[in-house]
Amino acid sequence: MSIELVCPAGTPSALRAAVEAGAHSVYCGFRDETNARNFPGLNFSPDELVEGVRFAHAHGAKVLVAINTFAKAGAMDAWKAALANAETAGADAVILADLAVLDHAATHHPNLRLHLSVQAAAATPEAIAFYADTFGVKRIVMPRVLSVEEIAKLNAAINVETEAFVFGGLCPMTEGRCSLSSYATGKSPNLTGVCSPPEHVAYTEDKDGTATRLAGFTIDRFGAGEQAGYPTLCKGRFVAGGKTSYLFEDPVSLNAASLIAALAKAGVTALKIEGRQRGKGYVAEVVRTFRAAVEAIDAGRTEVEVGRLLAGLVEGGRQTSGAYKKAWR
Amino acid sequence: MAEHFRGELPRLLRLLAAPAGFLPLGPALTLAVRRFARRKPAVFDRLGEYGKCSFLIEPSDLDISFLMVPDGSRAEVKCLRRRASQTADVTVRGPLLVLLGLLDGTFDGDALFFNRAISVSGRTDALVALRNAIEDAELTPADFVGATGGLGRLVDRSVIGGLGLARRFTGSPIPGDPS
Repeated sequence: MSIELVCPAGTPSALRAAVEAGAHSVYCGFRDETNARNFPGLNFSPDELVEGVRFAHAHGAKVLVAINTFAKAGAMDAWKAALANAETAGADAVILADLAVLDHAATHHPNLRLHLSVQAAAATPEAIAFYADTFGVKRIVMPRVLSVEEIAKLNAAINVETEAFVFGGLCPMTEGRCSLSSYATGKSPNLTGVCSPPEHVAYTEDKDGTATRLAGFTIDRFGAGEQAGYPTLCKGRFVAGGKTSYLFEDPVSLNAASLIAALAKAGVTALKIEGRQRGKGYVAEVVRTFRAAVEAIDAGRTEVEVGRLLAGLVEGGRQTSGAYKKAWR
Repeated sequence: MAEHFRGELPRLLRLLAAPAGFLPLGPALTLAVRRFARRKPAVFDRLGEYGKCSFLIEPSDLDISFLMVPDGSRAEVKCLRRRASQTADVTVRGPLLVLLGLLDGTFDGDALFFNRAISVSGRTDALVALRNAIEDAELTPADFVGATGGLGRLVDRSVIGGLGLARRFTGSPIPGDPS
């Protein structure tokens, strides 16, 4: 296996779907604010994680546990419990962002393999060396703001593995430092594990179409038949300078399948598919498609086109290679 | 109902389905959900407090709708004539075959929403919780009729095969396929 495929699982059934579809690794989180997909009804209880790890290992797959929100000052118990539960379950690694959580893991769970979450936004050799030297971090999940050329340069300057997002929701902001959701709702992926928490989201229909509201702010309005996106401020449509447009980012999904060979050549160890909040239908389809793409690259092909195969699953009906190809700069 | 959208039942099938409104679907579905709650309580644990919310399911190609309160062993489903004005915490509307595909995990809810195959209104948090609980439930047709063992497998094969054929016939979206 030349490159590892890391796949999302929001529920035990999604974990099984991912493993059966060919995931080399599955990432998931506990049912609380310790992970960045803290949505109602989603995620794993400690017992479900034990069973999930057992299932994955029996099928030759690994389980990585995301504990990647930032702990509350003076109230770290949930994060400490998550680390202990991940170790008890036999997780192959934990994905962390917060310095205190990293320190606790390195000190009290020395056998846990540590990955640095994209939420830590480490994108320089100096920052990565700090995490590696201080806490023994073995892998960095890279922010989605780097080009392939920048990733190649970064990999040449560091001595830890790198993991790159290749498909799914595209966060256009510097992750871990975005306050847009907090501004509107008081909750954020960084601290409470939810961007645009669903209790603040409302869709209302009228003769002009559907309006998306976040905490009372109308952030988009789309007509009948017009493709929709997630209800996040970064993908909202606003009027500025007399023009209505998506000011920050269009509703669009990342698809870097055509860059798998280039990312492998740039030294990337693992490819990550976003979507723990998505259903097992999405998980199975995307994982199966990307596993075939990875195997095709392994077999010597230089480029694989999977955009058409997954077009029905993407946000806004559109796909982009994001910052990996920085034509927009 | 005059307009025909992708994935909706053709007019002839809608007419054939019309008498369904006079069948005791509500009590039958109530029993099925309560039976399922006894067999798989973890699904309703996942739903948590949202089990007490009301969900109005409106198949856009039928003249009936379903009002469900998925409160475990106290769950209740009512079958309503479409014209009845009914309020609920959450309303989900879409073609019957697409809604059934959400139940068994054939379709991804977000993708259906992006493609506008379904529309939703009301409490988004309750809807998200229900979607995730159903996702993990791995519901099969046999669960609804209480069939197990060989009979259950036969029911599943027959119904899933039939639904697949019906979706192809009606042009329902298929996973990964652009709308």
